[in-house]
Amino acid sequence: MKRIKAVIVKEFAHILRDPASLTIVFLMPLLMMIVFSYAIRFDLEKVETGVVNYDGGRQAKELIDAYANNRYFRLLDLRRGHSRPLARGEALIRSGEIKQIVVIPGDFSRRMARGEPAEIGVIIDGSDSNVASLIYQYNEMLLRGFSPAVGLTPMRVSTTVHFNPELKSNVFFIPGIVAILLVMVAALLTSLSIAREKESGSIDLLFISPLRSWEIILGKTVPYLIVALLEEGLILVFARLWFRIPFRGDPLVLLLFSLLYILSGLALGILVSTIAPSQKSAMFAALLITLLPSIMLSGFIFPLDSLAPVIRGISYVVPARYFLVIIRGVILKGGGVHHFLVEGLALAGFSTLLLAGAMARFRGIRRRRS
Amino acid sequence: MKLIHLVRKEFLELFRQREMLPLMIAAPLIQIILLGYVVSTDINRVPVRLVNRSASVDARRLIRRISSTPLFAVVGTGMADVDALEVFRRGEALAVVEFRDRDDGGSPFPDILVSLDGVDSNTAAIAAGYLNGILRNYLEERARRMGRAPPVSHRTLIRYNPGLRSINYMGPGIVALLLSILALFMTSISLVREKEQQTMDTLMMSRLRPWQIYLGKALPMAMVGLVEMALGTLVVMLWFRVPVRGNLLYLFLAAVVFLAAILSLALLISTLAGTQQQALFFAWFFMVTFIMLSGLFTPVENIPSWLMFLADINPVRYLIAMIREIFLKGNGIEFFAGDLLRLGAIAAGAVSVSLLSFRRFISK
Repeated sequence: MKRIKAVIVKEFAHILRDPASLTIVFLMPLLMMIVFSYAIRFDLEKVETGVVNYDGGRQAKELIDAYANNRYFRLLDLRRGHSRPLARGEALIRSGEIKQIVVIPGDFSRRMARGEPAEIGVIIDGSDSNVASLIYQYNEMLLRGFSPAVGLTPMRVSTTVHFNPELKSNVFFIPGIVAILLVMVAALLTSLSIAREKESGSIDLLFISPLRSWEIILGKTVPYLIVALLEEGLILVFARLWFRIPFRGDPLVLLLFSLLYILSGLALGILVSTIAPSQKSAMFAALLITLLPSIMLSGFIFPLDSLAPVIRGISYVVPARYFLVIIRGVILKGGGVHHFLVEGLALAGFSTLLLAGAMARFRGIRRRRS
Repeated sequence: MKLIHLVRKEFLELFRQREMLPLMIAAPLIQIILLGYVVSTDINRVPVRLVNRSASVDARRLIRRISSTPLFAVVGTGMADVDALEVFRRGEALAVVEFRDRDDGGSPFPDILVSLDGVDSNTAAIAAGYLNGILRNYLEERARRMGRAPPVSHRTLIRYNPGLRSINYMGPGIVALLLSILALFMTSISLVREKEQQTMDTLMMSRLRPWQIYLGKALPMAMVGLVEMALGTLVVMLWFRVPVRGNLLYLFLAAVVFLAAILSLALLISTLAGTQQQALFFAWFFMVTFIMLSGLFTPVENIPSWLMFLADINPVRYLIAMIREIFLKGNGIEFFAGDLLRLGAIAAGAVSVSLLSFRRFISK
């Protein structure tokens, strides 16, 4: 125990010797959290919509009013002053000035008045598929509301939204941002720890010390665990006070799982550090492993349920996937330890495996050197 | 001519370590293939728990409809009450739908109680929309059978990407992201590294002019970046069958201007950072910010106006926008000249600031 403490003290001294790095490590994620919380939003506002209305009737005008009064759309009359409105609309879609064209055919009002099926035409710019499918859904929603009530008693549907009744997307995103920033910071912090000593040659001092290999690895992990936990606390306090994200769960539960999660990130960094021959390759490998997979394969943006089963299989090796469930569950839903047993076990498993791998690897190099 | 020797030295250094080649070329390509399968933003298989406390035929029919659509994945159906909050906390389902017979017996239909887990606001809203659609279709079909008024429908054409294949849009975008990661990161530690290992002095003793050293540092990485971009583009074209409707020479041009901007920013980081670790964290900060605000995951228009300046100086955003124009729309340069010019202005600004900083770095 005393010997591990010595390594911890040494590693802490190394962290504190470079206050510039420490400041960067603390301030940057905070800054990023603030910026992303404002800037990452799904819902579109004011979809530029070109309208071509070939129908002079009342119902067509009502439909246009429905579009105009909907906060999701901003209208542009393509027929005003142009003889070929459709061609003009297509050109505007091509140059990106409008996102969709709504065409109301000449018989629209007449058909609606007679109770026959009425149809409008829509052309959407599909070059950003995310935006295009949102626009498609907005149109569906608007038309559903616009359709005359069918002649039957409607069903009584009462809908309750729990945990996030206003469906604000930053309630969803902010805990996620904390999770992905944490794993990246953790892996990057330790990815250098062994590689740096390899580069400077000081690793030989560690090798000839009486310290056991596992003591060295643990001693190199603990200081960063503390740094990353402080970091998480700072970001969360900020999320609570600045963005007023509700905190419904027990902070101790979150602390418990955060320990496991950060440990798995740190262990990943250390393992990379023992394998990579230089600081450069260690950092780059840690970056590649954590950056895009944590954003794309974790459920941070894309819901995992919608992925094809095979691809969802890959997501099981991304630690962020488990912690996202936990942090959202604890903070927003008030979940307790018993809700996250599987996730917690997975994180503990990752940490153990990766740390064991790093220790074995370290022992291997040590044996070869001596 | 002396420049060539420096470029060759940098190349040697880049590949002297055996692990760098697979790390720089192969690893990103593997990621493109892996992530290419992920990028479906269509919401389906929303897990839903059903509770049927109604004996009516309608409830049974509606349950059958919800079970048969790929939009929902039913995780359980039962007659007993369930605690929706607990279902959500355990993460079993995102929605609980309950059918109940009305007490007064006045309506032919059962009452429907929907509880949604609102944490993922986007999915919750879409799931509610799907459910409403199913109920509405059901009513409409009955109405039609009874000869009542049908609703207004729409026939939608989607230009450039008719099947809304996400990969067509996200695939080339991921290539752009990996290119930014590679170029920004590798270059941002290049000078610090020489400083840390005290090899910078050797370089200064050579008779190379500062701008030559600067170019010598940037060129090898630019070439690696272009190779990476070409390979990545081939992968998305051949493996994922992403159509390329425009001229690939434009893509090359866009990539060159983009690399000028990114590499000079990286060199600026490299002159300012004291250690490799600092350079790493600076590079990471810019990279993640650029990627998140690139418009690839969420629309750029959603960024509030007081933060828009961040998007305006973001090279990745312009590259993504131009990729969309070139790949999917097949547009000529006249359609993205504005983006290209703005990217060029960013590149010019970054080059001049970093050159100044580089001069100071050298003279120290």
